[in-house]
Amino acid sequence: MSWLIPLIALIGAIYLLAVIEGWSLGGAFSLARPARAALAMIGQESTKTRKSDALFYQAGPVLLLVAGVLAVAVIPLAPDIILADMATGALFLNAALAYVLVALIMAGWGPNGAYAMIGGWRFLGQFLGYAMLIVMPITAVAMRAESLMTTQIVTSQAGLWNVFYQPLGFVLFMIAAQALIFLPPLDLPVAPGELAGGVEAEYSGPQLLVFRLARFVIILALAGAATTFYFGGWLGPVLPDWVWSGLKTMIIAAAMLSVGRFLPRLREERFLALCWKLGIPLSLINILVVGVLVLVVPV
Amino acid sequence: MSAQLAFLAFFGAAALWFAVVVFRTHSMVRSALALLFSQTAVGAMFLVMQAEFLGVLQIMMMATEMSVMAIFMVMFMMDPGGLGAMEMTHQKKRSLWAGGLALIAALGVSWLGNWGPVATQLALPARQTELLGIELLGRSMLIFESAGLTILTAMIAATMVAITPLEDEPKKERHHGH
Repeated sequence: MSWLIPLIALIGAIYLLAVIEGWSLGGAFSLARPARAALAMIGQESTKTRKSDALFYQAGPVLLLVAGVLAVAVIPLAPDIILADMATGALFLNAALAYVLVALIMAGWGPNGAYAMIGGWRFLGQFLGYAMLIVMPITAVAMRAESLMTTQIVTSQAGLWNVFYQPLGFVLFMIAAQALIFLPPLDLPVAPGELAGGVEAEYSGPQLLVFRLARFVIILALAGAATTFYFGGWLGPVLPDWVWSGLKTMIIAAAMLSVGRFLPRLREERFLALCWKLGIPLSLINILVVGVLVLVVPV
Repeated sequence: MSAQLAFLAFFGAAALWFAVVVFRTHSMVRSALALLFSQTAVGAMFLVMQAEFLGVLQIMMMATEMSVMAIFMVMFMMDPGGLGAMEMTHQKKRSLWAGGLALIAALGVSWLGNWGPVATQLALPARQTELLGIELLGRSMLIFESAGLTILTAMIAATMVAITPLEDEPKKERHHGH
């Protein structure tokens, strides 16, 4: 039953995130709102568009959810509360999250709608920007831990959290994470108010529910990854292990959900230019600096 | 052991099936994603054969590569959705010959090659990753670095060929609000 506790924690955390998002965007704190919204979506009709690519249309949201759940599987809540403690955990997280791109392209192409298709391809453009910024900071994290195992990455930070050890990598990782889950200010693939929901535009009913659910799972996976890679995972005084990692994950997730309120939406080509001209050199510098630190200063 | 073999056969069959789908569909996006899922199945075969790092790497790299390929296919093909039922193949005879010869070569290598003794003891996943790293930074460094550099050069060259320099564009007269 080792999978039961992480699963219950995941469901609870998703619900809490939905409440926080409603609070952050709508301004009203309501514990019942996400449940009501979900029930309404289940009852709603799933509309179909004309000449849609039915296979992609149906598979898109499901693949998004699968990618999210697989990514969550390698995030440890405590040393022994983890779904899959893989030897290649940090790489596996990337592999799972790469399918967010595939799912969004499928969901964008499938419905045969202009807004959705533009949203899907926009995400591909966004991906070209953030791809390196998510892989290269993780490389530096693995260098310090001398392992790709997520549990070992946490224990490697016993002396000093990575957020202080490699702050540059942390900043780059968080920007990439925000782009990966297309949250504002990097929400061009859905772009409410401009692209009418983009990838989400043609979905309704249970399919939209799966899509929204998958988004929360991926936000959790990314916040959990940030906790594991940069904030020492379950490490902390007094309180039990799982409380620390849960608390850190929720704080990071809440920050990811609300940061868009204070920043304007970034245009695609500006984001791409920034990522390639500034982000990639900076992440290479980060790898170099961490490499030197690992060899010279043993913390 | 038999379960492992069954999974291996399943993912192998899936890889072949998706490879066939690549050529059976008219939609460029479907074709690209079928190729992706074929490659993902190959990655799953690596996982079944307990080569964890290779499997995960294959599954990750193919997702991004095939998606990028999909947008290029959509950009350059006249009928990307396959709705017009356009014929988009060419040089069929030559492709058949090339494909057939490649198949014979691949089969020849797999049958005639000396694969060494069958491994009975497998290194643990973490140790496998370490060994791979040592291999990549040792004996195989030159070949991988030159391959990487060649691909980078090809990418830059392809981009140079594809973009139109701004100077060559016909100069348009500018109107300022008249």
